[in-house]
Amino acid sequence: MNINFYDKLDPFSLNEYKKGIFFEKEINSLTSFHYKNSKEYKKILDLLGYNFEWKQLDKIPFLPAKLFKEFELRSVSKEKISKTLISSGTSGLKPSKIHLDKENAHNQIKVLAKIMSTLLGNQRLPMLIIDQNPKLLKKTIFNARSAAIYGFSIFGTNHTYLLNDQGKIDYDLLNNFLKKNGNKTFFIFGFTSIVFENLIKKLSNKLLKFNFKNGVLLHGGGWKKMEKIKISNKIFKQRLLKKIKLTDVCNYYGLVEQTGSIFIECKKCSCFVTSIFSDVLVRDKNFNIVKDGEKGFLQLFSLLPTSYPGHSILTEDIGKIVKKNNCDCSSKGKRFLVYGRVKESEIRGCSDT
Amino acid sequence: MEKLRNFEYLVGNGNISQKPMQPYDELICNFIGELSIELNLSPLSNKYSDIKTLAFWCRKKNIINIKKNFISNETRLGLGLVFHITPSNIPTNFAYSLIFGLITGNSNIVKVPSQKFEQVKIICRAINKVLKKKYKTLRKMILIVRYTNNDNYTRKISSICNARIIWGGDNSIRNIRKFEINQRSLDIAFADRYSFCAMGTMEILKLNNNQIQRLVEKFYNDTYLVDQNACSSPHLILWLGRNVVKARKKFWKNLYVYVDKKYHLTEIASIDKYTQLCRDILSLKNMKKYERYGNSIYTIQLNHLDKELHNLRGKWGFFYEYEINNLNKIKNYINNKYQTLTYFGLNKNILKDFILKNKLQGIDRVVPVGQALDISFFWDGYDLNRILTRVVDIK
Repeated sequence: MNINFYDKLDPFSLNEYKKGIFFEKEINSLTSFHYKNSKEYKKILDLLGYNFEWKQLDKIPFLPAKLFKEFELRSVSKEKISKTLISSGTSGLKPSKIHLDKENAHNQIKVLAKIMSTLLGNQRLPMLIIDQNPKLLKKTIFNARSAAIYGFSIFGTNHTYLLNDQGKIDYDLLNNFLKKNGNKTFFIFGFTSIVFENLIKKLSNKLLKFNFKNGVLLHGGGWKKMEKIKISNKIFKQRLLKKIKLTDVCNYYGLVEQTGSIFIECKKCSCFVTSIFSDVLVRDKNFNIVKDGEKGFLQLFSLLPTSYPGHSILTEDIGKIVKKNNCDCSSKGKRFLVYGRVKESEIRGCSDT
Repeated sequence: MEKLRNFEYLVGNGNISQKPMQPYDELICNFIGELSIELNLSPLSNKYSDIKTLAFWCRKKNIINIKKNFISNETRLGLGLVFHITPSNIPTNFAYSLIFGLITGNSNIVKVPSQKFEQVKIICRAINKVLKKKYKTLRKMILIVRYTNNDNYTRKISSICNARIIWGGDNSIRNIRKFEINQRSLDIAFADRYSFCAMGTMEILKLNNNQIQRLVEKFYNDTYLVDQNACSSPHLILWLGRNVVKARKKFWKNLYVYVDKKYHLTEIASIDKYTQLCRDILSLKNMKKYERYGNSIYTIQLNHLDKELHNLRGKWGFFYEYEINNLNKIKNYINNKYQTLTYFGLNKNILKDFILKNKLQGIDRVVPVGQALDISFFWDGYDLNRILTRVVDIK
């Protein structure tokens, strides 16, 4: 991807048609790039019967997300890998390992910055992180959470961690931070479930001396826990408003396999929106494309993955596309909702006691 | 006996006799027959096809048939007390295990899955109801328990039982075996097994529309009905004979129509099968190509066999296929992991010869397609009628 081409574009400025022209081309060339450079990817495509003809987006082959948990998929030589991202290993599975070379890592940051600028502007803002300092986190959870914290930290200054080494709210630090920065816009970042646990449930309004009303909260991930306690995005927002008068709350969604090209929530309609760097399709149980508005597996596209074949991934997340034109915001991207991970089924048969 | 948290008696109250009865005692046979009726009467049973299958299997007529097969000149008695550890994920398995033990004249302590299946509740309620009527002697022969993390109980019962039946994967069996049984006692392990299917291509090509329908229906019952999770469900299909291309096409196409109509494909199943396909492409050395019918059927065609054959397992309608012109070509791959061979369009005497002449350690059952899941007193190579009884040699 020639990142400079995108420098002048607003990430949400192109309509589907205009975006489609270059997006399809980029995805097609990524497919053939990975085919030529990843032994594994070539093997899969060869057996799936891939040919080099130009393909519409819905005909582009996809890898299942779990494959990244089981295989080392790379499209550059091992020596060129400068950084490996590791996902949170859910439900006893191995974590995904994403291998980045310098170029890929650089592009991730650049694209993330472009998307974030629509939320925070181009200024770096004082940043309150709803977590412990990653240096204090246990090795096992270090990777997923700390990677996100470090990743987003580049958009902030004056980084302040809400939780102390005991995992408890540090009111002195918090009040100091708000006293100093609360009069102007500041940036709050955290995992959804940790934000819920601390800002909504645990925070004591008695001990809080200043207010949050100028904060912009970006939160994401960890929604499995939210699903369990049945807190929807809407309720989450209502409770934040009620408790600390926080109005500017934005949910994001993304795969570790497609770090950088995250999807952020539209402030008006609360749908996730694709940028010019990403796209989404919804497939049914037989992997046919469903009609807009019907639920199915989310297939996610990103222009970023160059050092590993992660540009077209079939996730285990269920979602739906929300028809366009219902929202009067200026974003031109595709809108979609995520309902959560596909249900594990009960086992029939006699495999184990 | 024990009053502990996470421990409950579903049938009985802790008292158990260790006195054996004669196998197929009339009282026991009547009890089982009545249980079948009770299960059928319960309005809840209609909800569960596995309960209906159980009720059908233990109906009086079938028990009489099973008894006929057993008749022997020897004087036999049950062993005494049988301890059953049943699999966690088949709700009705414990009932079959219990009937095996009971009908052979034994007292039984049956550990049911810790997961609270509705079926377990229904069956235990039926047992209690029938026991209350008139089967005073039998009340001391059936104890059904549910518990978790209670090594003491497992150790205690293991030490006093005359036989222990363990259903489960290799790990669970290893765990239970840590608890010693008496020197004179017996361990019967129904371990993790592998099953496959052999089809005669020429016979398939001869089938008319109705006949092929019936074949795929039977195959469906062996596989999709339990998501291929039963140890007797086939994972590998061997095509024997000429014209394989045509025969397999006819088979899969017809199966697809049936599966598409009948099977509830879950989302997790469809993504899991696709993931397995990609995994196989990357890790199998003997994959020739694959075919996919929607997400209902995945088949992987192999171009040669290897020693790891029994590790090729599918779920939810994911199969491996291999063409051979002579059964003997697979003899070196059959080990003691192999349990059931289902067949169609082949002569069973040829299959028998194949096992005997090649002196195979594996394959305990050879049954027509459609009977893979039929449970019988011959299981995993054991003759339960004999192994759960002792001979009193009188001269």
